[in-house]
Amino acid sequence: MAGRLPARLMAPALLIVLLAFWQILTRFDHPDFVLSPLEIARHVVEALRSGELLPHVGASLARALPGFVMGSSIGVVLGLLAGVARGLDQLLSPVVFLTYPVPKIVFLPIVMLWVGIGDVSKVAVIALACFYPCFINAYYGARGTPTIMVWSGLNMGARQWQIFRKVVVPSALPLVFAGLRVSLALSFILLFSTEMINARSGLGFLIRQSESSLRFDLMYVAIVAVAVLGYVADRLLLLIRRRALAWQEAASR
Amino acid sequence: MRGSWPALASGLRRVALPVLGLIVWEAAARSGLVSPLIAPSITRIGYQLWLLVTQPASLVEVWYSVARGLGGFALAAVVGVALGVVMGRSATAAACFGPILSGTYPIPKIALFPIFIYLFGIGSLSKVLLVFLECLYPIVITTQAGGRAVSRVLVWSAANMGASRARVVWRVVVPATAPFIFAGFRIAMPIAMVVVIITEMISSADGLGYLVMYSLASFKTDRMLAIVIVIALVGVALDRAVVRLRNRLVFWERLESYYAE
Repeated sequence: MAGRLPARLMAPALLIVLLAFWQILTRFDHPDFVLSPLEIARHVVEALRSGELLPHVGASLARALPGFVMGSSIGVVLGLLAGVARGLDQLLSPVVFLTYPVPKIVFLPIVMLWVGIGDVSKVAVIALACFYPCFINAYYGARGTPTIMVWSGLNMGARQWQIFRKVVVPSALPLVFAGLRVSLALSFILLFSTEMINARSGLGFLIRQSESSLRFDLMYVAIVAVAVLGYVADRLLLLIRRRALAWQEAASR
Repeated sequence: MRGSWPALASGLRRVALPVLGLIVWEAAARSGLVSPLIAPSITRIGYQLWLLVTQPASLVEVWYSVARGLGGFALAAVVGVALGVVMGRSATAAACFGPILSGTYPIPKIALFPIFIYLFGIGSLSKVLLVFLECLYPIVITTQAGGRAVSRVLVWSAANMGASRARVVWRVVVPATAPFIFAGFRIAMPIAMVVVIITEMISSADGLGYLVMYSLASFKTDRMLAIVIVIALVGVALDRAVVRLRNRLVFWERLESYYAE
């Protein structure tokens, strides 16, 4: 098949064609809120230089990271424990699975009422949303531990705590990371929506404010920043996973 | 009757947390220590809930939210399954769209909402399309994984018996992928409701998300909590509906708990 693009180049080619198409379209008559890709790139550089962007990035991260860390660590720990201890399982699982399909954003107004409209309410809602995927994945990860491994551990004289540490946790780890990845994406969605609903700083606020003051350049800059943040955070998590699960990759090779 | 005491104990443990939560809540509300603005008593929330589900005016708001959510979800289901099946069966399509999809997957699409409002207006269309965009990813990704996992023997035997390529896709690949497709639906459905509620909270004049913010702004906490309960019930009901539909269509493989497949 001569003249056919190699598979690796196909996606970049499609992307370039799309961007070029967009760029050409903006040459014609278009509404104010449509900016060409080159213009957006220029505005991003400008905003980085003028310092308009970075304080908002900092404010957003200061909300997302504590929420993600708190919610997902509590979720992973409780999920693992509920996966191995029947009493805790019966206590927690019905509540967690029943409330799982509830959109967690509806708790924002309630939390706002209790702790005020400051950052605490946003962090709390992000933590709550991050809790669920982590709990559920860690729970099934722990429950899916091959019985035979637990038996061999017991047979070799391991204590319960050792079994948990050395057998249950490693075998649950792939699912735990799957849960963390979902939680990370959720934390960003919740972050920007809570900031759009009410905030005085952060990227979500910047998007809304620049939109309502018709500064479309700044709006696109903020959207690009959101996209980059979400992408980079996801890649970082995948990198950590590759480190932590090196044994698994080696085994599957 | 020796086995009944442990069974009773485990039954009690299952309801312990919700009952405890309700008791603490009611005690806090009745004691007068907490303002009813912050924690209204359960009877008041229940009364508001009764008003909500009996008044046609508020049921219409429920319908707005559900219609937006289901509209975007249905759109994502059609496009997502088609794209996922094609990507699962064709290496060229996977190479074309795969990197773009996985590259844009971690980006919070909600950031595009202001642009969507400008492009598609402040009404339902911008919300439905944002729901579509958020739901598309999980459906495409799970469908593609399923399409790739279809047993080669099935495809070969169908082709060997003279089925055309389109017929193989429709009669072999799609049914074999169905469990994966429904796994994607199950992930996408709560996302659809989240996005609807968020967009209605940010900018809307109707729907449940708007009602929540409106009752909060007018300090009708009991009403707000009643609406939150309605949203929760709608979320659970839609999830159950997906499971019911799945168990009916994918009858050869029952789904009991969340990940049981």
